[in-house]
Amino acid sequence: MKRKLIAAMAATTALTAMAGCYASAETTLTFAWWGNQTRTERTQAVLDMYAEENEGITFDTQTADYNDYWTKLATSAAGNALPELIQMDYTYVDQYADNGLLIDLTPYVESGVLDVSNISEDILAAGTVDGQLVAICNGVNAPSLLYNKTITDELGIEINDNMTLDEFMDIARQIYEETGIKTDLPYEAADNWLPYILRSEDIVDMFTDDGLNVEDSSAFERFFEIYQIGAEEGWIIGADIHAELTSNSVEESPLIYYSSESTQSWCAFFWSNQLSAMTEAAPEDMEIGITTWPSDDPVKSDFLKPSQFFSVTRDAGENEEEAVKVLNYIINSVEANEILLGERGVPATSVVAEAISPLLDEAGQTVTAFINDVVTPNSSTISAAVPEGASEVFDYANQLVDMVLYGQMDAAEAAESLFTEGNSIMSR
Amino acid sequence: MKAKKRTLNIIYHVLVFCFGLVMIYPLIWMIMSSFKETNTIFTTAGSLIPEKFTLENYVNGWKGFANVSFRVFFQNSLFISIIATIGTVFSSAVVAYGFARCEFRGKKILFAAMLVSMMLPAQVLMIPQYLWYQKLGWVGTYLPLIVPYFFAIQGFFVYMMTNFIEGIPKELDEAAKIDGCSYYTIFTRIIFPLMTPTLISSVIFSFMWRWDDFLSALLYVSNTVRYPVSLALKLFCDSSSSSDYGAMFAMATLSIIPAVLIFLFFQQYLVEGVSTSGLKG
Amino acid sequence: MNKKKQTLSQWLNKNSTAGVVCTLPFIIGFALFMIVPMGMSLYYAFCDYNIISPPTFSGLKNFQRMLTDTTFWTTLRVTFKFAFISVPLKLLFALIVALLLFKGTKMTGIYRAMYYLPSIIGGSVAVAVLWKRMFSQNGSINAILMALGVIDSPVSWLGNTSTALWTLIILAVWQFGSSMLIFLSALKQIPTTLYEAARVDGANGRKQFFRITLPLITPNIHFNLVMQLINGFLAFTQCYIITQGKPLNSTLLYTVYMYQQSFEFGSAGYGAAMAWVMLLLIGLITLILFATRKLWVYDGGF
Repeated sequence: MKRKLIAAMAATTALTAMAGCYASAETTLTFAWWGNQTRTERTQAVLDMYAEENEGITFDTQTADYNDYWTKLATSAAGNALPELIQMDYTYVDQYADNGLLIDLTPYVESGVLDVSNISEDILAAGTVDGQLVAICNGVNAPSLLYNKTITDELGIEINDNMTLDEFMDIARQIYEETGIKTDLPYEAADNWLPYILRSEDIVDMFTDDGLNVEDSSAFERFFEIYQIGAEEGWIIGADIHAELTSNSVEESPLIYYSSESTQSWCAFFWSNQLSAMTEAAPEDMEIGITTWPSDDPVKSDFLKPSQFFSVTRDAGENEEEAVKVLNYIINSVEANEILLGERGVPATSVVAEAISPLLDEAGQTVTAFINDVVTPNSSTISAAVPEGASEVFDYANQLVDMVLYGQMDAAEAAESLFTEGNSIMSR
Repeated sequence: MKAKKRTLNIIYHVLVFCFGLVMIYPLIWMIMSSFKETNTIFTTAGSLIPEKFTLENYVNGWKGFANVSFRVFFQNSLFISIIATIGTVFSSAVVAYGFARCEFRGKKILFAAMLVSMMLPAQVLMIPQYLWYQKLGWVGTYLPLIVPYFFAIQGFFVYMMTNFIEGIPKELDEAAKIDGCSYYTIFTRIIFPLMTPTLISSVIFSFMWRWDDFLSALLYVSNTVRYPVSLALKLFCDSSSSSDYGAMFAMATLSIIPAVLIFLFFQQYLVEGVSTSGLKG
Repeated sequence: MNKKKQTLSQWLNKNSTAGVVCTLPFIIGFALFMIVPMGMSLYYAFCDYNIISPPTFSGLKNFQRMLTDTTFWTTLRVTFKFAFISVPLKLLFALIVALLLFKGTKMTGIYRAMYYLPSIIGGSVAVAVLWKRMFSQNGSINAILMALGVIDSPVSWLGNTSTALWTLIILAVWQFGSSMLIFLSALKQIPTTLYEAARVDGANGRKQFFRITLPLITPNIHFNLVMQLINGFLAFTQCYIITQGKPLNSTLLYTVYMYQQSFEFGSAGYGAAMAWVMLLLIGLITLILFATRKLWVYDGGF
């Protein structure tokens, strides 16, 4: 028995010794991101290239899927052990900045270490919280309605950019009547779709610090009304079908994955950088088109969004400047972006975007044109990043959408509930 | 009479086998899907046989991420799972013996503490455990994934083995004591060998659970090169970009092989029933 | 010197000392790896804590919040239903299969593997995709049931609030492998001489089962019941990877809601409070199981 214990102790000591070996004289930067195999491969290749050019720099890379990524990041934040460089999302940037976890990059811009001269003001502003530049956008995205062009062409329906919600619903009805194919409205996506509609009602920011930035529940009625109409008229992809799918996954979108007309959709609400994945996953004989999300006032609703940012964290310590240099390399180096190829969105740096555009595949070219020619001239500034508590409000809104789809509530009741509960969540 | 027995026998085999097929049907589906072209997995989900048989998913999956092939993930997982399993089985056996055969002050409280430690959801301990391991300087290493298991930290195993030892006749201990054995040698010479069935179950469970565990790996492993399989598998599916289900199914299929082999290897000892001969009523 | 050594080994060989020495690994492990984290999470239960900034003490606020949180009560109800249905079913299956696979034939190894395999894939992402496809409207379950004539048209198992939880229950029951293995090794432990004696006395198969087998494995049934109930109440993965509570929270398990509150909604304090409430509930149930133990569990040697 004692021998066992001693063996166990010995094993412990050996492991502790092993753990000690990982320290090294070089500067090791930890870089964390979420994403798929393609993104990981390309990012790693760029980092390898950087490490080769800059002696003494090595990288520890951490990748995870989106949800796990944020769990891990929050945990590291609690332990004051955030990676030096992190990929940041618009949903979280406010919380992380407010809690002082991201460093202000302004001094580095002033000293010239970080070159942002080719990034537009609007996009830079999206990464600015309380006057501090805490996140640098690395790709530009826009809300995009991806649709089955094969079907709309067959039916002779013309899809125009900047269509209104009423036009959109008319198309939905027509397609449903003629083919039985349904329409997939955003599902489990109130965080994107609800503010998009509110913007057309001149509510640019949905939240104040401790409540909802709306007078009464009527502001939310339009949002729920569309689901109610769709459910009543039968042309919407219902919650029961979504229960069998992974929400917001490209591969399981009813646009390309269905068993019959009643589970098929002619469109899907996504982001512009997902066009190429969607095209790839679609059946070979299906042509995928791209247009703007419908809105009562498209110009007010639409916006350019940083698909994601890079931030340097508070825990970078003495490696701070080295981390900023890497960041600068990723956003400004044409060489690096020739590898990344806009996988995270159209590069925010105009020079880089131009340089790589001839190298993009067809979908990439389409997206670039869509962003530059369709969205940019007809859009407004992005809404402010959402405060803490917002994710719970959106989650509640998603539940209410289910209630409307299942016919347990009408739009007015759902709007009322969201107003009351939303305010109570935010004031907590 | 003989014919009746034979018919019964056949019915038994047919029933057990058919129901077994139902049990593993989902697995067969997964394995078959791993040979389908990745963009047809969902569209042909209804049919089991791939329209076009391809190994592409295995090739793509095995490539892994960022120049780290799946071989590395397998090595990592094997290392963690084997070491942690050895730790769990031996430490739990010793502790279980203490619980089952000895009376001492505080035993009840200790036993209760063991049960209580199982009742708190693992998810709620993530943050405090992380902070504590960080204090110990263990974050970024495999230590949090291995060392605790050398201290019988999983009440499940201790409890299971305690139960088992209690089922071993005390007369054996008494006889050994008369022969001059101490409490410690009773354990090593008598009890431990008799524990084989429960030890085997423990090895099978522990290996499988360590292999599947991804939550602690997510928190404590800080470099893709050191990821275990459970964590790497999740990297194929990212809802915010796109997912490669084909590669995921392919690697998921490979990832169950070690646990299956361990099961097949060890379960034969369950069949033979090593211990029964030693027991007398 | 010699005398002193003698007393030391004598002292070591005292029953109570041996007990402490043997349980020492657990005592150390518990003190080193469990007490501090558990204490911290208990403290968080009384705090406002969003993980990314330090916790601030807020008294009983989190516990008060539970009283008015309708989702909390929903998840509690769902979890009780899940545990109280899936655990007995799982154990029943495990016991029946263990008895079927107990006698050794040439095929036994393969059979055991077949029945154990589902447990091996556990909660990997593959299961999530797989399970949804099985139960989808055009999936295998509907196809089989329609072929058998049980239903006329496909049922939306996952989309219906009254059936969705059952898909998770079936998943839990499907993975009965570990309970089965425990029963198998318990069956092995029963001395064959007992059966021989019973046969001499003319006891038939059923009598043997109820007189010998069942009483002798009651400790294992008790063990499986305690462990599986704990697991049932703390079930997380099935819901988290497959349904995420949908539809309409009808499958939202307690721990998943707790996880959402902690990591998605920034209320880790509330999550911790929920965890400790659950601990009390499970503790109570376990206590009841132990209190009634002597009523139905066969104790003592053979």
